[in-house]
Amino acid sequence: MSRPTRDPGLQPERTLLSWQRTLIVLIAVTLLFMRGPFPGGPPGSDGAVLLRLLPALAVAGLAGALMAHLRRRWRRSGNGYRDPGSGAPPAPLARPWALVLLSAAVLVLAVAAGATALLEPVP
Amino acid sequence: MSTIMPSEQGPGAGDEEPDSAEPRSGRPGTEPDYRFTLANERTFLAWIRTALALIAGAVAVLHLVPLQWSTGPRLTVGLALTALAMVITVYAPVRWLRVQHAMRRDRPLTTSALPLVTTVGVALVCIAVLAGNFWT
Repeated sequence: MSRPTRDPGLQPERTLLSWQRTLIVLIAVTLLFMRGPFPGGPPGSDGAVLLRLLPALAVAGLAGALMAHLRRRWRRSGNGYRDPGSGAPPAPLARPWALVLLSAAVLVLAVAAGATALLEPVP
Repeated sequence: MSTIMPSEQGPGAGDEEPDSAEPRSGRPGTEPDYRFTLANERTFLAWIRTALALIAGAVAVLHLVPLQWSTGPRLTVGLALTALAMVITVYAPVRWLRVQHAMRRDRPLTTSALPLVTTVGVALVCIAVLAGNFWT
């Protein structure tokens, strides 16, 4: 039983790392956003904690779901060796819904960053 | 078990899961080389990271950095960055799909205006930041 040769350019690995990098940046930017003045009172008060919990859980859940999806497909392809269907290295790494979900999440983050600035009371 | 090298992949050969949401009849042409599909996926992810970087800049200007600017320039710069990020996020999956379709049908890839839009947008924001620093 011979294995097909690994892609010499390590394309599946690079794509997986690209996904991880993107998810890490998404989490980092969300944390950065949550450092700012949030509605619901000063940092530490009950309202502020509750309001921060929602986006934090949403982003953590989203990143976890996407990562689980990627890892599942990654493991199934024998760590990037081959697609079970075709025998070539896996392409693409994620299903289209993962791409749409990620863009939608980033869009929501952009809208939230803009909207909270507009709604914020002017000092 | 013999290894099957996919020199001649049929349509949808790269999918390991039968997915009824993607009718085969709507996807004519053949699957492109897996490397091109992966490169397209990475390009999409790179656009998303660009949008995230712009959002980080917007969050810094709008919420975090105590700039000595008046509200007008601060909101203009921050919302311009946000708007640019929104355009990129909407465009990235559309572009990914278009490129995938074009590659599957072996058609030339169309050039897009987005790199130009991003460049001009970021340049304008830079000018606005300079102006905001010098004229307040």
